Amino acid sequence: MNGILVAAAAVPFGVFLLLGAASWLGVPLTERVVSALVVASAGVSAALLATTVRSGPVEVVVGTWFHGFPLVLRADWLSVPVGVLAALLGALIGAFSRRYLHRDPGFRRFHVLLALFVAGVQLVVLAGTPDLLVVGWELTGLASALLIAFFHQRRGPVAHGLRAFITYRVCDVGLVGAVVVVHHGGPPLAVGLLLLWGSMGKAAQFPLGGWLPRAMEGPTPSSAICYGAISVSLGPYLLLRTHDLWAGAPALPVVIAVVGGVTAVHATLVGRTQTDIKTTLAYASSTQIGLVLVEIGLGWEVFALVHLLGHAAVRSAQVLRSPSLLHDHHHLEQALGEPVTRSGGGWSRVTPRPVRLWLYRFALERGYLDAVVVDHAVGRFARLVRRFAAADERWVRRWEVAR
Amino acid sequence: MTVADRSVTDLVDRAAALLPEQGPLQAFVHHNTLHAFEHLPFGDAVTEAAAVFGTEPYLSEAEFHRHLRSGRITPGDLDAVVADEVVDDGGQIVPGGPTPRRFHELRLRHHVEVPRGPALHWLLAETDAVDAVDPRWDLLRAVGPAPEPQAVSARPRDRVLAATGVDPDHLAHPLLIRFTAAFLDQGVAYWAMPVREDGLLAAFRALYGRAGGPPDPFLRGLPGCLRGQDGWTAERTIHWALRELGVAREDWSEVVTATLLSLRGWAGMVRQFEHRPDRAPVEARPARLADYLAVQLTLDVFAARHVRATAEPVADVPARPELEPVYEAFVLARLMDVPLTDTGQAAAWLAACTRCDEVERRRLLHLAYERRHRVGVLDGLAAHQALSADPGVPRFQAVFCLDEREESLRRHLEECCPSVETFGFAGFFGVAMNYRGVDDVRSRPLCPVVVTPRHAVVEQPLHPGRTRRSARARWTRAVSTGSRTLARGGVFSVALGAAGLASLVGRCLFPRAAHRWEHRSHAEAPPTRLVMEFSVAEMADIVSTVLRTTGLSRGLAPVVLIVGHGSSSLNNPHESAHDCGATGGGRGGPNARAFAAMANDPAVRAELAERGLVIPEGTWFVGGYHNTCDDTMTYYDEDLVPAGHAEPLRRAENALAQACVLAAHERCRRFESAPPDLALADALAHAETHAVDLGQPRPEYGHATNAVCVVGRRRRTRGLFLDRRAFLASYDPDCDTDDALLTSLLLAVGPVCAGINLEYYFSFVDPAGYGCGTKLPHNITGLIGVMDGHASDLRTGLPWQMVEIHEPVRLLLVVEAAPERLAAILAAHPNLDRLVSGGWIQLVAWDRDAMHVYARGAFRPHVPERTAFPVVARSAEVYAGSRDHLGCAHVLTRVDVPVPVS
Repeated sequence: MNGILVAAAAVPFGVFLLLGAASWLGVPLTERVVSALVVASAGVSAALLATTVRSGPVEVVVGTWFHGFPLVLRADWLSVPVGVLAALLGALIGAFSRRYLHRDPGFRRFHVLLALFVAGVQLVVLAGTPDLLVVGWELTGLASALLIAFFHQRRGPVAHGLRAFITYRVCDVGLVGAVVVVHHGGPPLAVGLLLLWGSMGKAAQFPLGGWLPRAMEGPTPSSAICYGAISVSLGPYLLLRTHDLWAGAPALPVVIAVVGGVTAVHATLVGRTQTDIKTTLAYASSTQIGLVLVEIGLGWEVFALVHLLGHAAVRSAQVLRSPSLLHDHHHLEQALGEPVTRSGGGWSRVTPRPVRLWLYRFALERGYLDAVVVDHAVGRFARLVRRFAAADERWVRRWEVAR
Repeated sequence: MTVADRSVTDLVDRAAALLPEQGPLQAFVHHNTLHAFEHLPFGDAVTEAAAVFGTEPYLSEAEFHRHLRSGRITPGDLDAVVADEVVDDGGQIVPGGPTPRRFHELRLRHHVEVPRGPALHWLLAETDAVDAVDPRWDLLRAVGPAPEPQAVSARPRDRVLAATGVDPDHLAHPLLIRFTAAFLDQGVAYWAMPVREDGLLAAFRALYGRAGGPPDPFLRGLPGCLRGQDGWTAERTIHWALRELGVAREDWSEVVTATLLSLRGWAGMVRQFEHRPDRAPVEARPARLADYLAVQLTLDVFAARHVRATAEPVADVPARPELEPVYEAFVLARLMDVPLTDTGQAAAWLAACTRCDEVERRRLLHLAYERRHRVGVLDGLAAHQALSADPGVPRFQAVFCLDEREESLRRHLEECCPSVETFGFAGFFGVAMNYRGVDDVRSRPLCPVVVTPRHAVVEQPLHPGRTRRSARARWTRAVSTGSRTLARGGVFSVALGAAGLASLVGRCLFPRAAHRWEHRSHAEAPPTRLVMEFSVAEMADIVSTVLRTTGLSRGLAPVVLIVGHGSSSLNNPHESAHDCGATGGGRGGPNARAFAAMANDPAVRAELAERGLVIPEGTWFVGGYHNTCDDTMTYYDEDLVPAGHAEPLRRAENALAQACVLAAHERCRRFESAPPDLALADALAHAETHAVDLGQPRPEYGHATNAVCVVGRRRRTRGLFLDRRAFLASYDPDCDTDDALLTSLLLAVGPVCAGINLEYYFSFVDPAGYGCGTKLPHNITGLIGVMDGHASDLRTGLPWQMVEIHEPVRLLLVVEAAPERLAAILAAHPNLDRLVSGGWIQLVAWDRDAMHVYARGAFRPHVPERTAFPVVARSAEVYAGSRDHLGCAHVLTRVDVPVPVS
């Protein structure tokens, strides 16, 4: 059993290292080989994890990182389904990408990053201790930010990849803080709040979700696996996984449910006015992840898990299909025998005009979050830092002159 | 409208001419990307457009030199082009140096890479690239150009960017994109924009003029400003904004143009909605470009103000002397061993080197690249005349679209069935109609875009009251919209997770099987009929034009197939760009069907007989549809075929089915996904997989191979392997006594084929500037177009995956007619003349056995370079194992032992 679990976590990582080393050394590999390695590693990982279902929950101590930090892998009702689905999606998307990225100059880079992403996810999912989880968490964050910036010749992808990366880093403060507090036996409420903070970036929760629609800059398959499915699901997964750590704080479920609820309402409102298919799907993902958080807050853990997994499958299928929208729309019209009527006409009948206009603009402008979070909060912080820097400079100068 | 308003309207109209002319993607019509520059000669147009749009005029020099190394361009081509293009009086540029011609010949053979700016300064300072003791370096440096101050454009955004390093467009564009997309949206968003019926500017004022708006710092004061402008016309707002931006009156035109071009995809789409509301895929919007410009300039005012107020100015960088031309002249002097003894000689040498600048070299290399292709094709055509044989009395005839993709199908059909005769005509077969199929929700024009159809044709079920597939469709719609909402989305996620996973497994691993499973319930379509509004005389006109132009009227077989074409594929927003250009980006099946119905109509036949064109009793026309993406055939109205024709029709259909397999096999060689030894039996399956795979960005290569158009009798090209690269329009000079048929044919074929060819040219030479870049991050917006990822300009042109195998040569139009006849037609039709004299197409007159190439206002005889081409028995022998473009070859089915000629 030990070997199986370790292999499930290690195989994707090994393939990442192998491909990374091959790229580093400039070993020529055909598209077929690169793709086969990535697909096989993810497929093997999924299959190995699936076999652990029969043996029931297990915990494997692999060794000790350093004193007080054991390396533990854990397979149970939560990690096995998520791990199997993540690896399976990794394999499917890998197979899909072989055709999709065929002849693209970044073919190998994409597959290396995909392998890294799957490896990171498996580490997050199977980690039995918070510290090991942090390692996987960082790897997935790095891989997804690099996938967003895949087309690095253009400004947009790089800026948006950077935005995701910064959001992740800001939230990592929460996650790492939680780990520190756990090690020092801090109060569960503090641990819980820090964990929630840590999960909010990746799960694209209010008010930190602005990076998610911007993440649709990469090739369609990476959008499907990261932002339709797995990457955003890791946020709720973190809360489910660490349930024992914050179970002692009765206030925390309320906070989680409020964050999830606000996100769900905000994202569904905003999503209603978006006019490009990938942004629409991004906000739809955000909405559902918010709902999952509400379910976690209500204590419906198994239901939350089912919702999370179902959503991941449905949404990534939708993202993969999104370039066929025109084709599908045409055929839907033909099959319906009438124009596809615009949905959501009801709201215009029940709301007075000023409210309608205000709400529409609010939604079109994405709830003004970018302005509030980026321009005001971050901008103010940046100005403060700059002021300190200037003061520091002045002080040093004066000191120099005085000497 | 005041005088000032009118002047603004003029400015907008002038700028609008430069915007992309691509409409919503549902009906993609190929056109010359540089239509606004068509009044100029090709060489001037591409250079001027490159300056306006910041794009590439030709392939890069490095690319051309790769072709030189591979032999695609030969040294002989270079010398021929230089002899043609470079004026030479025999004198040396400098004493002891080459003559201008010799200079160009040498210059074009060498690719001198000159590092730019700081890289060059580094090279000079840190390496021994320049020999310090070589006196030529100092002489050339002494006469080098003085540093020129960078020209700053008049657009305020450019000035702010230069002064602060912060781009105000990064503030204004996202909002403008979001707003315009929402205004034009055809049904992606769940909520429609509430106040858009009054136009774009009114909607902007209604939405953003309310208090409590977006707290973005740069928008501070916008609501008040918009409220103050209530009731202003767009023109007045533009006026106000230009003044507010501090633009001098004489710069207005330049600023308006630069502003609109900064998001030219969206601006162009607004213009398309303004001019062609009928082309809106779902519903038209009251869009006006002036409204859009007013919104953009208003945002520019606020963005520029904000950046000026907040950003710190960047330090000025002192200009450094321009050393690139000096360095290049020095390297060339060394390379050609030119002595330079004084500054006069150095200046002359430098001037000669600068005259042959990069654009000029690329122009010449391009001409050489085109020349090699032209010579190959013309020699092949000429050589084939000795070998082509008359097929005798045809068993059946088939009329296809002149599309170059049908070239291989026709060739294979003739190979499988030597007793067939094939023809090419524009794929709408003269039937210009507003067509509504039995499943269609609205009618759409099926004819060239320049024609406005006057007649409606409706397909009606023979037995009314059949059930639709609507129950399943309703469910599909419920899931696709519901899954994006809050509550329904939750229910669907939980309930349909397993189905989603199953669909993923199928679509990712077994695309073809998954597609068939999803469409398993599509039963055979019930019989229908076309209801046509045409009068008998009009139908007789249509039928007689096609029969006489193609030469079909000289002898009709018992069965005549009329085959339209189209293409159906998944994962392809540009699906309709693969459809038939002659039907305006639609599918030509209904046109073929309508034509067949007309030609079978006894009343039409009687009318034609009166005019002297007799369609024999024993001839029956059958309409068909060729899907070029999966190479399947559909036939129409087979239940109407008289009993006596059933067997000949069945044989014809079998032959065509076999030809489809062979054509698919030939086409698959271009896909790297197909093994080089793909079995014939797997060809159709491979093609079908490409068409139905969600992960396949190359459903077919479309027109990517287009390069040639031959207008003439098929007899002269029959059996010549043209590699799917030639549009083939049938034209029988013997039926055309007064050139009327040829004139109307050329007026249609010339611009349409040139449009396709030039769109591919430009999307290939600059995939990001003229094309829409790689397909991989494309994101469909508003059901009208694609963006790159999250919020970019609307991308127009063709995606790289569609054009990647293209050879960017201008269309080689070979017409079976005497030079004098063509010259007379050109003289009488300025629009055609503009294309030919301007060099947008290469025209060749093919008179009996002589060929005359049009250049600089005159036809000049073509001198063959090669007379022997490979002779094979089957096309497969020519293309087997190769993925590249192939030259001509003679496919002579009656030759038993192939005679390979290298």
